[in-house]
Amino acid sequence: MDPDVLRITDLTRRYGPVVANDDLSFHVRAGEVVGLLGHNGAGKTTVVSQIVGLLRPHAGDIRVGGTDAVRDPAAARRHVALQPQAQAPIDGLTPRSAIEIAGGLRGLTPRDARAAAVSLAEELDIGPWMDRRALPEGGGLSGGIRRLTGFAMAVAAPIPLLILDEPTNDIDASRRRLLWDAVRRRGDAGSGVLLVTHNVSEAERIVDELVILDRGRLVAEGSPAHLRGTQDTDLRLELQLPPEGADPSATDPHLAVRRRVRTGRRTLLTVAAQEAAPAVAWAAAQHAEHRIEGFSLTPSTLEDAYLALTTPPDPTREGATDD
Amino acid sequence: MTEPTAAPRTPTAPHPPSITPVQVSPWRSLGMLLRWSLASIGAMLPLIVVVQAMLAAGIVIGFGLLIPDITAEAALFLSSGAPTILLLTIGLVIVPQGVARARASGALDYQRALPVARPLLLAVDLVVWTLIALPGVAIGLLVGHLRYDLAFSFDWPLLILASLLVTTMATSVGYAIAVSFPAMLAQLLSQVLVFFVLLFSPITFPASQLPDWFQRVHEVLPIQPAADLLRAGIAADTFTASGRDLLVLTLWTALGLLVTLRALVRRR
Repeated sequence: MDPDVLRITDLTRRYGPVVANDDLSFHVRAGEVVGLLGHNGAGKTTVVSQIVGLLRPHAGDIRVGGTDAVRDPAAARRHVALQPQAQAPIDGLTPRSAIEIAGGLRGLTPRDARAAAVSLAEELDIGPWMDRRALPEGGGLSGGIRRLTGFAMAVAAPIPLLILDEPTNDIDASRRRLLWDAVRRRGDAGSGVLLVTHNVSEAERIVDELVILDRGRLVAEGSPAHLRGTQDTDLRLELQLPPEGADPSATDPHLAVRRRVRTGRRTLLTVAAQEAAPAVAWAAAQHAEHRIEGFSLTPSTLEDAYLALTTPPDPTREGATDD
Repeated sequence: MTEPTAAPRTPTAPHPPSITPVQVSPWRSLGMLLRWSLASIGAMLPLIVVVQAMLAAGIVIGFGLLIPDITAEAALFLSSGAPTILLLTIGLVIVPQGVARARASGALDYQRALPVARPLLLAVDLVVWTLIALPGVAIGLLVGHLRYDLAFSFDWPLLILASLLVTTMATSVGYAIAVSFPAMLAQLLSQVLVFFVLLFSPITFPASQLPDWFQRVHEVLPIQPAADLLRAGIAADTFTASGRDLLVLTLWTALGLLVTLRALVRRR
């Protein structure tokens, strides 16, 4: 059996002159959580819209659970559950009835749908809200509870491909953790999960693979460890620059850095562990001379790599592809 | 310097259990969607009944004030036209506004991404809006009866057929407007349609009062046929409808359904 629940090949979609998806290819296997990362406007939601048949690709193939999603979108939709970026339309419903209906639409018997609602209420810690009605204009239920209900609706029944578009928006920190764990469990239970997010640091904990888009193009893919690109022992030296100040690290030949990314008034340097002591000494000297406002040394994260891949070209930058 | 690039993936170790989607019958999907739609629109139902009652009072009593010494015939004409106006208002104004809202909020796309045949979405809305609109017929007639003490001579089969057909026509045309035009334009168009239906359509007055060319226009629009057909069902002793009315209404209904279905199924 084909292990891929989603296979996208050479996908291209334009809006007028703007190429929203430029020749994308990637896949999601059963049991795998794949993070689709990118800035706003990178083309993430456009990919999703084509998978569920809201948009037609201009070129390329999309196969969902063995069906051709471009030729037969209706068949493909049966293999996909989507939690979109917009809130699920549940006005007039309670979370319980919304989850039961969503389960029923995916073939759960009424008894199974009721059981699914009960167990999801527990899993996401939304029990007290389960029988409260959502009212128009955002009344009745908070945005966070609505978002969690939308997630519960998407996962009410087991599904080959689960697509979650920014599922943690509006959700408080403790339930966000419950949600990430719930996502990971769906993957472990055999669903392929495509997780669309710009929350790099949180997604890193649960994804198996990452696909990074930048302005419509795939700029990198691989496991978080692979994409971090440097050794696990590498460290991140973050410099806080003065307003409109030059980055002293860009011109200093004695500073050994693996990667440098500048975002606004921050410069993120990736340094090898054995270079950490001289780097800190260098930064302290810069700070003493008021060329930087502050600095910190932390373990290197995926966010550093992500920023290196997606930060617009900058003459002072090194270490990332910008072709 | 390390360069993060694409690399071959490591295969996932044990094979996870495979999940096969369940094929759900259209009837079951329809039932689920109906439950969903009734809950969301149902909250508006009391409001809509109040609006219908006020509109009916406005038409039957308000328009009556424009005609001093109103005759029994004129009163019957006015009152038997009120249900048509109410049904057309729901279908051509409230439906497009609701659909335009659903488009803007992403609710329509949410539904279109569900594992159901998209024509079912339209079927559900037709059923729900018919349920919501139909009390309008009774409300309109009740107001007429209370104001002018009119006795109606119902042709029940015709009244039921006409009510269903007019509601379906208005809802499908309203839906078509909402999915064919940008939200702002659809809202504007639906506002303009209220005035057209209320003031420039031979519903509450005979078509003979319109200029010749305008009568020709109304022969092909669905408004006058809707009014004539309903009137014949409400006061069968006084008014009759023609097969042509039925044909024009059916054609408009088909057009509305076709445009809507195309928009629901089509990928942009």
